[in-house]
Amino acid sequence: MAQSNNSIKKILTVAFALCIVCSVIVSTAAVGLRAKQELNQELDRKSNILDVAGLYEPGTDIEEAFKQVTARVVDLRNGDYSDKFDPQTYDSFQAAKDPAQSRTLSGEQDIAGLSRQENYSTIYLVGDADDPEQVILPVRGQGLWGLMRGYLAVRGDGNTIEGITFYSHGETPGLGGEVDNPRWKAQWDGKEIFADGESVQPDIALVKGGASDATEVDALSGASLTSKGVTNLLQFWLSPEGFGQYLARFRSGIERDAMQDTSTDTEGA
Amino acid sequence: MSAPTAKGVLLTPLFKNNPIALQILGICSALAVTSSMSVSLVMSLAVIFVTALSNFFVSLIRHHIPSSIRIIVQMTIIASLVIVVDQILKAYAYEMSKQLSVFVGLIITNCIVMGRAEGFAMTNSPGLSFLDGVGNGIGYGFILMTVGFFRELFGSGSVFGFTVLETVQNGGWYVPNGLMLLPPSAFFIIGLIIWVLRAINPEQVEENEFKMKENTQPKEAV
Amino acid sequence: MGIRQTLDNLEPHFHKGGKYEKFYPLYEAVDTIFYTPPSVAKTTAHVRDGIDLKRIMITVWFCTFPAMIFGMWNAGWQANVAIADGFGAAGGWREAIVMTLAGGHDPGSLWGNLVLGATYFLPIYLVTFVIGGFWEVLFAIKRGHEVNEGFFVTSVLYALILPATIPLWQVALGITFGVVIGKEIFGGTGKNFLNPALTGRAFLYFAYPAQISGDAVWVPADGYTGATALSTAFQNGMSALTDQFSWWDAFLGFIPGSVGETSTLAILIGAAVLLWTKIASWRIMLGVFLGMVATSLLFNLIGSDTNVMFAMPWYWHLVIGGFAFGMVFMATDPVSASMTNPGRFIFGALIGVMTVLIRVVNPAFPEGIMLAILFANLFAPLIDHFFVQANIKRRQQRTSVPAEENA
Repeated sequence: MAQSNNSIKKILTVAFALCIVCSVIVSTAAVGLRAKQELNQELDRKSNILDVAGLYEPGTDIEEAFKQVTARVVDLRNGDYSDKFDPQTYDSFQAAKDPAQSRTLSGEQDIAGLSRQENYSTIYLVGDADDPEQVILPVRGQGLWGLMRGYLAVRGDGNTIEGITFYSHGETPGLGGEVDNPRWKAQWDGKEIFADGESVQPDIALVKGGASDATEVDALSGASLTSKGVTNLLQFWLSPEGFGQYLARFRSGIERDAMQDTSTDTEGA
Repeated sequence: MSAPTAKGVLLTPLFKNNPIALQILGICSALAVTSSMSVSLVMSLAVIFVTALSNFFVSLIRHHIPSSIRIIVQMTIIASLVIVVDQILKAYAYEMSKQLSVFVGLIITNCIVMGRAEGFAMTNSPGLSFLDGVGNGIGYGFILMTVGFFRELFGSGSVFGFTVLETVQNGGWYVPNGLMLLPPSAFFIIGLIIWVLRAINPEQVEENEFKMKENTQPKEAV
Repeated sequence: MGIRQTLDNLEPHFHKGGKYEKFYPLYEAVDTIFYTPPSVAKTTAHVRDGIDLKRIMITVWFCTFPAMIFGMWNAGWQANVAIADGFGAAGGWREAIVMTLAGGHDPGSLWGNLVLGATYFLPIYLVTFVIGGFWEVLFAIKRGHEVNEGFFVTSVLYALILPATIPLWQVALGITFGVVIGKEIFGGTGKNFLNPALTGRAFLYFAYPAQISGDAVWVPADGYTGATALSTAFQNGMSALTDQFSWWDAFLGFIPGSVGETSTLAILIGAAVLLWTKIASWRIMLGVFLGMVATSLLFNLIGSDTNVMFAMPWYWHLVIGGFAFGMVFMATDPVSASMTNPGRFIFGALIGVMTVLIRVVNPAFPEGIMLAILFANLFAPLIDHFFVQANIKRRQQRTSVPAEENA
């Protein structure tokens, strides 16, 4: 028995048979379940978006609720909508790695620690796409331990914040990890990005020891570096480098052209 | 060693020969996934499933496995099972699989699974091997759940996501213990569990490798 | 000789078969506080000297007094200055004691500052002593050995490295962890490879970071936030630090921080006594110091645009944070440090290097000495092993006779 088991023929037969059986099982599982997995990922992304817009509660029909949301691709360099990409399939994270679709950020610009920024980004409009109730912007930046990714929901005036959420981060649980604490996130509702109508650079910031006006938010206690990271990423994405020019179309009292001068356009090679 | 009985193989891995507490296997995932009980539970179920079935299949074909490639054969079976589990979790428990992330995939490298396949399933009947897999999976799960219970209770003030101790962050009184949210805390808890288990079963205590010389003679005052 | 007689009268009850047989460790502990014990150390677990452990520990304990008394005064002074600036006093029973004994919050009054500081430090020390002592006695009774005097030192060191405002229940949890997990699990004093006081503090540091680090915990005045010198430098750079404090402030200790760690001068007084009595190893202290100086000089030389800590010179590293306290009292713990003489240099240097490395390069922790010492504790047996093996080899060569193991 043992002798015959170790013959070359037997070894090859067993190995071959086993590989066939296992690969059939594995591929059946992978193929059979793929549709459902992709749906899950899609639902997960949508629920994050609905969540930041304050439209999601446990039990909400995500597909139904998402009908009032329109996805658009925005050219970050001039703030215009672009039809170059399909918003359903465009992947801005991938684009940020592609030199043709992104630009390198210089040390001074790169306060959020991204090193590269995509030229186009997908945003989501809640309600009427021409006169939206909310605009949902994808934001990301370095925290203490790594990249934090999230969404920021801004109301139709292009200035008032509806909510913020971070769906992926690696901050210390209990300290910086409190960025996803609902109680902390609740205080963002009604905060303002710009101190007055003419500001070009955003004023919103996390401050220690209690927020005193509409552009200040309480910092996370015991996590000064995560708080700094959140401030930096918002400062970056809401400035003309990020969505500043796009947001200007919703704001009254500021000309988009005035902003373009301040934004240095260094296109990636 | 006497012939294994069904009851024996199912129950001894729980306390008497626990894979984590006595054999110190599978520690990596026990540190990584135990910050909440529900994640620990899913992980335990996944491991029970994989150990039981891999034991079963390995045992089923044990007479045909050439000894020269037996480890690879076992690995292939285990890996296939783990991928299936991973795919199922992604399809039907997406939230959970996000939290478990790579650790489902890492069941492949969990020494418990491999150890049982090589150490037990290769020499025992499929039925017994299956039970042995279930038993060891439960032994692993028992430690995971215990660690998860303490970490979630003291770290987040909840049990299975239900708030038990209202935390200060949410306006309550309980100051959560941040250490419990960090993976190394599982080391301490597993250590304490081992202490308790060995206090109950003193035969688990290893012999001293060497005897330390007494510093002073314990004697009564003159 | 009243005490001797009382003790002698009580003694039979604690012997085998007596009423309180189980509590013999307690009797023994009290007895040897007053009188030289009948037995002295014969082997080399701790020291190679005729002096017994209890005398050593009490000497160390006395050596912490300058730092302790100055620390209490400083905690009170910092608070009184803040209160004079309009911040509220903490209130409660502490306020009642301060009012009775000192009559007000005058930052100019030496006595007033001391009393205020004492109302914070003494409860911490008391809780440490009672809770830690409870575990010590419990394990001593259970294991049938005498209460180990090392706890005398552990308790005072542990209390001195906590911020004044720490909640007392956390003090109790921390010392429990330090004594049980850091020491008793491994068999008690002499077998612990970690410094129990630091183990307790590390537990609190990771479990309750908000109450042991950050800006609000150092000065016991209501609502007052003031960063330690180290985190000022960490966040805003050296110029911000030198604007706020002078080097002499930091050296003498007029800065916020844990109770015992602020005054480098007071710590050095203790160090002088420890070195003079040859209780602490000068090799370890020198190793720590040189390791720190070398590493910080290296960072100064490399320089960095983004990391302001690179620019901190060694004489600042010495006086801010817990560096001096750790070097003098923690690194020299006879149990958890290296035992071989050359090993002590390596052990100390490892601490010095790691401290600066953590302070400068780590993004999250401004202070590094605590983790550096615990880290070096783990390496101490390994370092010793190499030197012991090298010694054995050398002797073998010299005598060309196989030397005995453990020679």
